[in-house]
Amino acid sequence: MRKQNRFGGRFVIGLVFLFLYLPIFLLIVFSFNAGDSSAVWQGFSLKWYASLFENRLVMESLATTLLVSLLATAIATVAGTFAAIGIYSLTKKWRDPILVVNDVPMMNADIVTGVSLCLFFVAFFNGWHGFAEWFNSVQHAITLPEQLHLGLVTLILAHVCFNIPYVILNVAPKLRQMDKNLVDAAQDLGCTWMQAFFKVILPEIKPGIVSGALIAFTMSVDDFVISYFTAGSSTQTLAMAIYGMTKKRVTPVVNAVSTLMFLAVLVVLVINNIREMRQEKMAEKRASFEPVKPNPFIESIREKLATPQGRVFRRVTAAVLCVAFVATVGLLTAFTTSVPVVNVCSWGEYIDESLIDQFEEEYGVRVNYQTAESNEAMYSLLKSGGADYDVIVPSDYMISQLIEEGMLEELDYGQIPNYSQIDDRFKDLPCDPENRYTVPYTWGTVGIIYNAAVVDEEIDSWSVLFDDTYAGQVLLINNSRDAIGVALKYLGYSMNTTDPDEINEAFELIADANARGVYQGKVMDEIFQTMEGGNAAIAFYYAGDYLSMVENQADGVDLRFVIPKEGSNWFVDAMCVLKDAPHYENAMKWINFIASKECNLANMDYIWYASPNAEALEEYPAYYEELYGEELDEETYEIMAAPEDVLERCEMYVCLPQEARTLYNDLWIKLGI
Amino acid sequence: MSKELIRLSNCVMSYDDEIVLDHIDLSIQDKEFLTLLGPSGCGKTTTLRIIGGFLTPTSGDVLFDGHRINDVPPHKRMVNTVFQRYALFPHLNVFENVAFGLRMGQTVVEQEGGSEIRRKVKIPEAEIHQRVMEMLEIVNLRGFEKRPVTALSGGQQQRVAIARALVNRPKVLLLDEPLGALDMRLRKDMQQELKRIQQEMEITFIYVTHDQEEALAMSDTVVVMDGGRIQQVGSPEDIYNEPRNAFVADFIGESNIIDGVMRADCVVEIFNRRFQCLDKGFEKDEPVDVVIRPEDVDIVSEAEGQLKGTVTSVTFKGVHYDTIVDFYGFKWLIQTTDFCPEGSRIGIKIDPDGFHVMKKSQYSGMFGDYSSYSEEYDEINDPTLLDEEEEDAADEE
Repeated sequence: MRKQNRFGGRFVIGLVFLFLYLPIFLLIVFSFNAGDSSAVWQGFSLKWYASLFENRLVMESLATTLLVSLLATAIATVAGTFAAIGIYSLTKKWRDPILVVNDVPMMNADIVTGVSLCLFFVAFFNGWHGFAEWFNSVQHAITLPEQLHLGLVTLILAHVCFNIPYVILNVAPKLRQMDKNLVDAAQDLGCTWMQAFFKVILPEIKPGIVSGALIAFTMSVDDFVISYFTAGSSTQTLAMAIYGMTKKRVTPVVNAVSTLMFLAVLVVLVINNIREMRQEKMAEKRASFEPVKPNPFIESIREKLATPQGRVFRRVTAAVLCVAFVATVGLLTAFTTSVPVVNVCSWGEYIDESLIDQFEEEYGVRVNYQTAESNEAMYSLLKSGGADYDVIVPSDYMISQLIEEGMLEELDYGQIPNYSQIDDRFKDLPCDPENRYTVPYTWGTVGIIYNAAVVDEEIDSWSVLFDDTYAGQVLLINNSRDAIGVALKYLGYSMNTTDPDEINEAFELIADANARGVYQGKVMDEIFQTMEGGNAAIAFYYAGDYLSMVENQADGVDLRFVIPKEGSNWFVDAMCVLKDAPHYENAMKWINFIASKECNLANMDYIWYASPNAEALEEYPAYYEELYGEELDEETYEIMAAPEDVLERCEMYVCLPQEARTLYNDLWIKLGI
Repeated sequence: MSKELIRLSNCVMSYDDEIVLDHIDLSIQDKEFLTLLGPSGCGKTTTLRIIGGFLTPTSGDVLFDGHRINDVPPHKRMVNTVFQRYALFPHLNVFENVAFGLRMGQTVVEQEGGSEIRRKVKIPEAEIHQRVMEMLEIVNLRGFEKRPVTALSGGQQQRVAIARALVNRPKVLLLDEPLGALDMRLRKDMQQELKRIQQEMEITFIYVTHDQEEALAMSDTVVVMDGGRIQQVGSPEDIYNEPRNAFVADFIGESNIIDGVMRADCVVEIFNRRFQCLDKGFEKDEPVDVVIRPEDVDIVSEAEGQLKGTVTSVTFKGVHYDTIVDFYGFKWLIQTTDFCPEGSRIGIKIDPDGFHVMKKSQYSGMFGDYSSYSEEYDEINDPTLLDEEEEDAADEE
């Protein structure tokens, strides 16, 4: 009976550990996969690791992560150590409550810490803005920057802030163990307090400081949530970069970088645990007055170090380490903040990344390339004041909204000669009728994507989104404008209607279908992985993205695209520059560069979205043939660049008045899921 | 020996509402061995820490060689301390522990334009080495200099602590219960050794202990403290033979303390009987406390006795028997080499010099009855109890 129980216990422990470690194990295994599948093993290869080192996004964010972690750890270690000493010089009455207060930030949800820090910084920036304006107006000797933004500095401050409690937590027990008389003894023997600190306290609590620093460092490297809220728009840590990379699909590159991160943290933790175990042993021996047998090797080193030459050696080593630290931090700083720059915010997988390198080489301007999830998400980020982008790539309706709110800067078309190559169809757009703010980036349509392996019929109507035929297999786009828009179209109304009854009717259609369980979920970029894997049958999304899904679709999945007979939305995404953009000149260079025929061809090939550059659009089939040695499928080309008759069925969004926008928002929140 | 080195004048120490030192006046002579003796919480450690500079008195003055040093920090005082449980630096070996103070440099006083200028001067390595080795010689630790201090026994650590303090050639050495953590035998050895070192080096020792035997054995002067006040200052003999009040009488050695009345000079009445004594100068019929040391009592046959009682317990102590005798409901401790069986009736005789008459004080009636003999003994000999309380007091800083 007993034996069986024990077996049962072991079995449960085994299961628990399997559950804990199997996912990580799989991740590590698949980081060595020769193919790009996350499910099928196709042989051993190190190519993903190799491509890691060529991936500029990864390398840059790695540099940022190291810089932030090193600096934050250093600052937090010093601050935390002194704080712990301060706490220990208080009376018991105060000390214990303060130590409890110290625990709270560690237990606190990261998201709360992150949001509150973000709020704090933005509030401070607002206050600073007022002060700097006043200060600059009363004197002219010193000009203070009036606009501050979230960035590297706030990121480091945030990391320092959440690291300090960990340092205190590790240093405090060492202080408790320390004989209180040691400091008195040192002062008695002629030390000032500071000398006593360096000569006696520091060596005694050093183990606690080191493990505090190690833990702070791993916490910094690991952190995603707090960084996400405090890094602003132009800075990105490794964790944030990985998150950005997984938005569309988990590529083996992500596996590789995650594996490396896991191993790095593991190594630090193992080192820390070994150290702690050794010290516990020493402490036990000390407590039992058992003579500690000196390790002859360590003793011989210690003796050598105690000689005058040894002391010189120690000082030299310490100096070298300090210089190395400063140099590392300096180099990383130079790497992450080398000027000049241009901050670009676009959508996920919406550029051929080699173009960024090309631009940087040609113009010597570094590009901070960030991505946002949707027009709405970007809009709220801009509104919160947390962004310092120069160039953004919003869609048409968002452009008119931004213009209306005075958030865009007029472009200097004199610096953008390539604008002349833009097809006339994409000039004089309703959102920018006088061509003052925009240079079109791509254009395309929205249509139904379905898996023909599951769906037998030819689909030609939005009705499949609302009836029960494919209940539980339909993905709804998580974007009120698009979702309600197609419902309006299906009902025969304009997508731009401002009639609340029509909008409500369209919404009821969705809400009703939702109540009946038609929708599997509300998605944005997750749609790629779901559709490619055949995990949903029907969705509607952008034509260009459909083509990239087809490229990656799993075996047995047969994706098709259709623009329903009721008509649909067609859109233009255009490059704009934000008001008060910190790098206006560089932004002009970037826009002109991207508007060129060569860039448009490269982008069109890479992201499958149609180019607004007239020559590029026309030449693309030839470009494709030259590149791949085969003819471009006519149908594919028409999906990319919808022909005139299809576009006639489609409508372009215009900016809705405020009441309608509020109604959209309220309805969308009501929908839930 | 007669020159005054340290003076505490009207020193008060209080935390919040609690008064730890209550107007202390104390004069400490150069080169003397002075012991602060008292139970836990009596203020002896606080007094020591005020002299060491770790505490500043709430009011009153601390004078060193005639200069006020209230605000001089510890590292600028010509005083060194041996701490409770040694406070050796665990990360340094024996040599480096002892050399610690020397490496901090030596204070040199220079006269410049009429004002004194003090500055720290580095001591050459060769001199440090020589002085440390000399000191290790004195404390019998030659050959241990490379050992980590964590690898030493308690007694050896104690010696390192003493060497570490003395190597700086302080004018005064403060010792805070230095032998508390040692076992009985080692303690006796170290007592002698400390006395020897003090005489050899000719410096002032201020020694804190709760152990009266230790105090009597080593000191030139004993200061008995209780409740933040000095109860008596004197040589060990004075303190033992002429205790000023019931507390001192009880704390120093064993005593039977009996309510009595002075009927005339040299005549004291206890248990309604008059006895010859040597004490004079009291009012007629003044109520007094009478101390009779257990060894000053002779046991005689019941018929010959000045007082008659019943033996209630006998404990063999080696040299003598601790005999508890009930006289009219009051239990006496008598130390005698004569064995009297439990339950036997006996008489006692006391010579006139066996009576010590004291004025009544706040301590009257609190001590002297041996009906609870064993408990009291335990309390005095329980060092752990004392340590904890001392630490709490230190925490209050």
